Amino acid sequence: MTFILISGRTIPQGSFVEHKLSKGYQRATSTLFIHSLDLYELGIESGDRVNVTSSFGSVVLTTETTEDIQTGCVYIALGPYANAITGGYTHATGMPDYKDIIVEIEPTEDPVPTVWDLMEMVGGVRYGN
Amino acid sequence: MEIRDVPCPFCGCLCDDISVRLEDNRITGVENCCTLGNAKFLSKSRLQHPIMRKDGKWIEVTYEEAIDETARILSDAMRPLLYGWSGTIGEAQVVGVHLAEEIGALIDSTTSVCHNPSILAIQEVGHPGCTLGQVKNRADLVVYWGCNPIEAHPRHMSRYTTYADGYFIDNTATDRKVIVVDIRRSDGAKIADEFIQVKPGGDYLILSALRAMVRGKDEVVPDSVAGVEKVQLQRVADLMMKAKFGAVFFGLGVTMSRGKYKNVRNAIELVSELNRKTKFTISAMRGHFNVYGFNEVLTWMAGYPFAVDFSRGIAFYNPGETSVIDLLERKEPDACLVVASDPGAHFPKSTIEHMASIPTVQIDPCVNATTALCQVQIPVAITGVESAGTAYRMDGVPIRMKKVIETEFPTDQEILERIVTRIREMRSDG
Repeated sequence: MTFILISGRTIPQGSFVEHKLSKGYQRATSTLFIHSLDLYELGIESGDRVNVTSSFGSVVLTTETTEDIQTGCVYIALGPYANAITGGYTHATGMPDYKDIIVEIEPTEDPVPTVWDLMEMVGGVRYGN
Repeated sequence: MEIRDVPCPFCGCLCDDISVRLEDNRITGVENCCTLGNAKFLSKSRLQHPIMRKDGKWIEVTYEEAIDETARILSDAMRPLLYGWSGTIGEAQVVGVHLAEEIGALIDSTTSVCHNPSILAIQEVGHPGCTLGQVKNRADLVVYWGCNPIEAHPRHMSRYTTYADGYFIDNTATDRKVIVVDIRRSDGAKIADEFIQVKPGGDYLILSALRAMVRGKDEVVPDSVAGVEKVQLQRVADLMMKAKFGAVFFGLGVTMSRGKYKNVRNAIELVSELNRKTKFTISAMRGHFNVYGFNEVLTWMAGYPFAVDFSRGIAFYNPGETSVIDLLERKEPDACLVVASDPGAHFPKSTIEHMASIPTVQIDPCVNATTALCQVQIPVAITGVESAGTAYRMDGVPIRMKKVIETEFPTDQEILERIVTRIREMRSDG
């Protein structure tokens, strides 16, 4: 199913912002808020995982039901998960399209990657654990 | 021991009424702070030593070794990029701008990926703004457009708008109206007198419709605009025109959506239109506690607020070309210094792929996503907790950040000064 993805701030994202490698930050930034009717259409329940794909990449996220956004739109806290599917083109303004990203969403059993996993996918090297 | 009136080094509200309780040089309690500031004051985890990557593995190094390596990387680079700056004080930013000029670097801040479009719009049509004190004491109508103060600036409403007592407002609960425009029914939207739920990308259309209504041209507005009924827009336009003092605050819902700076320009022009009927102001909800400060510092020093390229030996500013995302997308930088921000978590994937492929150095107290992209990380004192200096609130008011605990970690400013000195030594050696 095709959706419009919007990223933005949430309190849990901001609270864990100094602890980006924590489970709390991972949870806060890899949660996809989706309308309950859209969950029903996808045939899954809140808490199930989905694969979200844009023209720029793909990432596994955990769903959470909400009535606060309209059907056809999904919301995610800003962070490395949102950026895994955000493009770097800025329309010559300096600002990439962090909002209004067209995505395809399908249910998956795959695990949600960690922040270190995402950084290693772009060529980084994890520190510590 | 308790230290009062400590400014909070988290968001652009820079709340300066925080009380911090200390025992044995440790923070044991924080009062008046929001959840976000509280988490920062009470944070325990940090990087203890400078680290460097050798043969694909991280090793601990001394400050001298880390500074030497950073100076070598920056000296050898043809197209160095200096990025970040919003989480540190003006005094450190000044050293950063000098460094950029000296090595012919491109310097940009997190502004580039937050309110860059607001600055472009202000440069086109001006900024009818005011301080937050004016809003607190005078505004009888507050509009939050494309922003969610309850989650991003949790005390904005209680200190400056909806829940704040105002000198010229008899009863803030009944005399101050709130309008929220957002794509999502956020917590802020739930307490608004009018909530406009706009379809994604529809802000420009709604702003244009309201401008027409304020001009008295209601007949040109169709029955529904970007999913919003005309009757609601008429109610909102009436509320705006009847206000004695209206204040619009806008966020990244306006700057990042389709249209970008043209959305902000339209919002400013709506405010100009409203000023023909009553008094109205508009202000950006700035994110990092000193993101505004970097715009001030770079403007004093180079004449432009962000995205300044010194590679020609002069300050050259052309957002869309000299802005950090465009530069990385073109894979131009061959070295990068990141100070007080975390592009690893906040930049699009293709741009951080390039950061990981070049020598990147980070100056930051904590391990973060950018750590993985770096060759070197130098830990520093936490600005506003362990070191003092100047920061600018979102409305341009400078506030002195306090040092509340002692630390052995050097400040950003000290590390940057040592890097500049080392680069000069290397260059004079030939």
